[in-house]
Amino acid sequence: MQRIVDQGTLSQLRRGVIEYCVLALLRDGERYGFELVRTLSEVPGMVTSEGTLYPLLSRLRRAGVVETSWRESPSGPPRRYYQLTTSGRAVLEAFSGEWASFRDAVDHFLEQEKAA
Amino acid sequence: MNAATLHPLARDYLKRLKKATAILPRGRRNELLAEIESHLNEALPAGASEAEALNVLERLGEPADIVAEAGPGQTPAARAGLNEWLAISLLLAGGFLFVVGWFVGVVLLWSSRIWTLRDKLIGTLVLPGGLATSAFLFFFVGSSTGSSGDGGCPATRVGSHGVKAVNASNQCVSSGVDVNYPFLAFGGLLVVLPILSAIYLGRRATRAEVTA
Repeated sequence: MQRIVDQGTLSQLRRGVIEYCVLALLRDGERYGFELVRTLSEVPGMVTSEGTLYPLLSRLRRAGVVETSWRESPSGPPRRYYQLTTSGRAVLEAFSGEWASFRDAVDHFLEQEKAA
Repeated sequence: MNAATLHPLARDYLKRLKKATAILPRGRRNELLAEIESHLNEALPAGASEAEALNVLERLGEPADIVAEAGPGQTPAARAGLNEWLAISLLLAGGFLFVVGWFVGVVLLWSSRIWTLRDKLIGTLVLPGGLATSAFLFFFVGSSTGSSGDGGCPATRVGSHGVKAVNASNQCVSSGVDVNYPFLAFGGLLVVLPILSAIYLGRRATRAEVTA
């Protein structure tokens, strides 16, 4: 049992959910890449390398769940802003529901284990 | 976006990233490079110290890891390009181009990184020469059985002896048809096999393209 709970399992889990974290960060409005990346990596244990988030953002854009537009920045060159599309919002809502019951189910077993 | 104002370490990092991303499709590569460059611009104020630059680069991660994330285990050769489609066409019909065409197809097939060993073996062995071999066997074997058939039926040539001769020629034709059934099946198989093989290679090539 101990063998499978290694770095691989955790990074797989992280990989699976991080795109939904990105979508969640965009729920209340658009953000530019650096802002998204820094917000995500500020939370410990979520991001191992900031650079890998940019390919992920590109994938989300190509999947049509986010769209981008360039805006002038108050300082320096224009920034690429990401925002949710309608389908992105739907994907996020669906995942939020699934995740809540999944998290509760996992917690249920983990807490039982602890109590025993 | 001016790379010249970046910290030398960041500029060096971008250079390494440019090299590492050379295997990505161009659009994705340019997008990634632009995003990382603006990340560096945002993260490193003008006149940032070396320690600051090192920290930012460390948080960014190794170029190789970023590229691995951008193309999950696929190299650009894994996308079906002109070479792959040329290989398939030549394997199928290249034998008609003075036979050499098929060999060129084989070389292209084996030099492509898109197909597995099994795909390459199938592409080469089904059938060597492609449709040209089918056509050659079909006509060669066909004409040789045809001529032996003619040889076995002198009655058709000597046909001025009336009813008997006509009967004899009818027998000959019917026996010729009996011989031709397995031959036609064999010939059909010869034509179908290289086409199936080409379709198989095409599907394998485009499947790899999707995962890339």
